[in-house]
Amino acid sequence: MTAVLPLTPRAALIAAMVGAAAALGSAYAGARGLQLADARRSHALPSPDRWADPPDDLSAAAQAGGRKLYLRYCAHCHGADATGDEGPDLHDEEVSDRYIARTILKGIPHQMPSFAKKFGAAETRELTAYLRTLD
Amino acid sequence: MTTTDPEPFWTHAHGALVHFPIALVCAAGVLEAAGFALRSRDCMRSLREAAHWTMLLGAAGSVPAVASGLFLTRGRMWGHGALRLHHLFVWPSFGLVVGLAVWRTALGARASDGNRAGYLAVLAVAIVLITFAGYWGGVLLSRP
Repeated sequence: MTAVLPLTPRAALIAAMVGAAAALGSAYAGARGLQLADARRSHALPSPDRWADPPDDLSAAAQAGGRKLYLRYCAHCHGADATGDEGPDLHDEEVSDRYIARTILKGIPHQMPSFAKKFGAAETRELTAYLRTLD
Repeated sequence: MTTTDPEPFWTHAHGALVHFPIALVCAAGVLEAAGFALRSRDCMRSLREAAHWTMLLGAAGSVPAVASGLFLTRGRMWGHGALRLHHLFVWPSFGLVVGLAVWRTALGARASDGNRAGYLAVLAVAIVLITFAGYWGGVLLSRP
C-alpha cells in the first residue's frame, strides 16, 4: 500500500497526534462510562448482595469499632489517617454506603483484596460507618 | 460469573487479546527497520508494505486489548501498586501505537529517509513502553 492520505510530513504528524488524542480520549470516556455503570449497578444489587446494606447504626460505638477494624486491616494500605499510601485517600468518598460496603466485601480486581471472609455484616457496617466519618 | 463479578472472564479475555497488538507492533518495528536498512534493495517496497499493514493491524488490535482491560478494572484507568505501573506504560503505548499507525498511513511511500528514521525512532520508544507494560501486566497475573 502506498500513500493513502496525500498529506505533507507536518500534516501527517498533526494527524498522528490527533489520532493518539482521539484514542486516549475514547479510552477515558469509556472508562468513565464503565465507572458510572458500575456505581449505578451497586445501588440495585440483587440478593445475596443485599446483605451489604448501608449502615443504620452510626453511633459512636459503631464508629469506634469501625476504626479498630480500619487500623487493623486497612491502615497499612490506606494510611493510619486514611489519606492514602499504597491505596487511595478515603476522605470525601462521593459514593453510596452500599458501594463502600460492597467494595470492602468484594474488593477490586488486582487492587484490593476481598474481605468477605474476614468481615460479617456487622463488621462491614461498622467499618462503613467509620469511613463515613472521614470528611 | 455474575454481572457484579466480572474478573474471571475479563482476566482471560484481556490475556488473550493483548498478545496480538504486542506481537504485531513488534513485528512492524522489525519489518520497518529491515525496510529502512535495505532501502537500496528490491525487497524494500515489500518490507515497507508489510510493516505498514502489521502496524495497522497492531493499532486495530490494541483497541479490544485496551477495552478488555478497562472492563477488567471496571473503568479504573490508573489504580495502585503494580496496576498503576502497568497503566503508566499502557496509556502512552496506546496513544503512540494509534498515532504511529495514522502517521505511517499519512506518510505512505513518499516519506523521506528523515521522516522514516523519525518514525522508526518513535516506534522503538513505543515498543520499549509496550515491553514494560507487558512486564507489569505479568506481575499482576502472577499475584494470588
